[in-house]
Amino acid sequence: MADPVRPPRSGCCGCGDSPAGQARRGFLARSLALVLGAAAYATPLAVGILSFLNPLRQKGAAGEPIRLASLEGLPEGGPPVKVPVIMDRVDAWNRFPKQPVGAVFLQRIGTSEILALQVACPHAGCFVDYDEAKKRFFCPCHKATFDLDGKRLEASSESPRDLDTLDWEVRGSEVWVTFQRFQPGSTTKTPQA
Amino acid sequence: MKALLDWLDDRTGLVSAWKERRQAGIPRQPCCLGVLPSTIVFTVCVEAVTGFFLWAFYSPSAQTAWESLYYVQYEVAGGWLLRGIHYHAGQVLLALIGLYVLAIIFSGAYRAPRELVFWLAVGMAVVTIALLLTGDLLSWSQRGYWSTDVRTKFLFLLPWVGSDAYKLAVGGPGIGHLTLTRFVALHAGLLSAVLVGLLALHGCWARRAARKAACAAEPPAAPNPHAARLGQALHDSLACAAVMAVVLVMCCWGAVAGAPGDQLPGGQLPGDYLGAELGAPADPGESYAAARPDWYFVGLYQFANYFSKVFSGMQIVPIFVVPGLLVLYFLAMPFLARSGAGHRINVAAAVTLLVAVGALTAISKYTDATSEQFHASLAAAEQDAVRVRQLIRAQGIPSGGAMALLWEDPKTQGPKLFRQHCASCHDYADAEGNGLLAQDPTAPNLHRFGSVEWLTGFGDAEQIAYAPALDKQTGKPACTPADRPRYFGGTEKLKEGKMVKFVKGNLKELRKDAGPEEFRKMIETLAAEATRKAAEPLANEAQQAIEDFTCLDCHHFHGQNKAPSGPDLTGYGSRAWLIAILSDPASSRFYGKNNERMPSYAKSPDKPEENVLSARQIELLADWLRGVWFEPEPSAE
Repeated sequence: MADPVRPPRSGCCGCGDSPAGQARRGFLARSLALVLGAAAYATPLAVGILSFLNPLRQKGAAGEPIRLASLEGLPEGGPPVKVPVIMDRVDAWNRFPKQPVGAVFLQRIGTSEILALQVACPHAGCFVDYDEAKKRFFCPCHKATFDLDGKRLEASSESPRDLDTLDWEVRGSEVWVTFQRFQPGSTTKTPQA
Repeated sequence: MKALLDWLDDRTGLVSAWKERRQAGIPRQPCCLGVLPSTIVFTVCVEAVTGFFLWAFYSPSAQTAWESLYYVQYEVAGGWLLRGIHYHAGQVLLALIGLYVLAIIFSGAYRAPRELVFWLAVGMAVVTIALLLTGDLLSWSQRGYWSTDVRTKFLFLLPWVGSDAYKLAVGGPGIGHLTLTRFVALHAGLLSAVLVGLLALHGCWARRAARKAACAAEPPAAPNPHAARLGQALHDSLACAAVMAVVLVMCCWGAVAGAPGDQLPGGQLPGDYLGAELGAPADPGESYAAARPDWYFVGLYQFANYFSKVFSGMQIVPIFVVPGLLVLYFLAMPFLARSGAGHRINVAAAVTLLVAVGALTAISKYTDATSEQFHASLAAAEQDAVRVRQLIRAQGIPSGGAMALLWEDPKTQGPKLFRQHCASCHDYADAEGNGLLAQDPTAPNLHRFGSVEWLTGFGDAEQIAYAPALDKQTGKPACTPADRPRYFGGTEKLKEGKMVKFVKGNLKELRKDAGPEEFRKMIETLAAEATRKAAEPLANEAQQAIEDFTCLDCHHFHGQNKAPSGPDLTGYGSRAWLIAILSDPASSRFYGKNNERMPSYAKSPDKPEENVLSARQIELLADWLRGVWFEPEPSAE
């Protein structure tokens, strides 16, 4: 019960029925079909990919100094103190006030002189611990070690660079630090944009 | 029945295709490959089905992902099994595909004309790894979150595109909601579809190659007899059943290994020790120190460790270059095999790789198994996981997510706050030194502060200003965990202040005269202040006990002393008293000008942003110091 086979249609104006003419018109029709079809199919894909690339437009929040500790809580020449960084955080559609987003090791090395070290190990981002007994920083993930200044202790350390220092200022009797994240795995300290 | 089949065949052509396939027979597979293809198809189906049903419960957002899986694990009948099967079958799938690729290599079935078939198998292995990696984040547990954090940060190693690649992978400047949504779209959508597509193509083209080989053989291979086809079908079903059995055993392994101790109200639920691990919800402020790659990457992880020790700062090599080259080598194998010894070299390379990865994996696992610090990290993570379950069972999960429960829990936050703000000067440890030890103990040990035991020691002339002998070199007391300054022993001035003089002098006399009974009554009165309700009147006896020991000469106690020179003892050790003294110990109510070095943690009630600690943090500390936090009822067992 198949339909009777229809003869192929010639060009709509009926003229130029030569084989070359037919081929030309066939080519035009095919090209038009291709272009229209591609445009139609490509549209949702293009829209999707464009929105998928949205994160590239976003920059991380510019570092503002935040108050992390008081000078009184940091005895001079004392051991490093791990201070959590509590900041407002924006995550897509949520704004979270005052959430822990990371931590900083603070040491008071002078009367008004502070050393602020990012706890994230520059190797892969694990938080380093402070080893009281051996007076050094120690990363539990791949065993990199750093001295109290954050310098790598081993000649060939797992970590590509020393612990990242952060900008700080003392306002009155308070320690303010500009919290930043840096790209792991690189020999140079580059902020995570 | 025949009429129905004819009707169906006419519309779809399926029935005649099936008959034709049966008659042509399943061409004999090269050896060793026997049941693997059907087990792989089976496991993919298991994953698709369990995946769909899990998807029907799962909510991909940072506040609801772990929580929705908690619901599945504990509140959905058989939910732990559903999740367990999905997780363990995924691991088994990768193992099966890995075995399949190796079997293809060993049997030489990767050579012409089956190159594309082999490439599809390798592609399936890669896609399966991608599925496992994306699936890992979806639980939003501490382990999943931090493992993914490390993995996505590897993208920074890529030159030029690293930063952009990272942002695209995590959906923003850092891991958050959009990372979950992206990973779900990849895991449940794109990658699953790609895997099924690769599997279908692989099956099609493998069959085509086998048919051609059968036809080209001299003499042409006869179609398999019925018995042989039945045999193959039986083997396949046995193998699939065996895979299912293995997955079920993996899910129920917790019962074999023994359920952990009875720490949860209502006893142990299956979800606590069966199925797949859920752990604690992700805490972006608290890194997971026991993070390790999954089993299939442990070998590479160990290799990367060795590599970093020798060539520091070139991490891109073990993470991207070496695996990339290995994959390219696998893809090139069919062409390398064209030369005479090529096949043998390929087999040897595959065996060497297997042995090397196995050895590296064993070394890494052994190192962790013998590492105290690794076990300590695991134990700490497990503690948080147990604690959050205790809190959820008592209070339910608030809308902000389960982490909010831990952030508001004095038992969890107390030690952290103490370590950050108090442990520079105060110990919090028992007599043997178990607990939090200060770097430089110049202030009283606060363990069981305000208890009868603590106050008794305070009133003891030998203890109130006790300090170990000075170390000759440092000039400071030589401290060990068990032998440390007590009460005012480590202070500068208070150790020779009025209170210490009183305890060593007058109080000694008063105690002798009054007798131990009276002394104890006085101590108990003071200790009772911590839990006395505000409206409760003070018993006359209690007031008398305090007066007898002349405390009122220097301290307020439910009455005004004209010239107090010591802290107010009204409500001593109560929540309000602790909050007040933590906020401002230098106020006239407490130590005033005699305050040595203790900072005021919340001096300005009107300007909370200027305070060191927020009101909530001080409350958490106070509750913890008083030992007041939720503890579940011991279960009936």
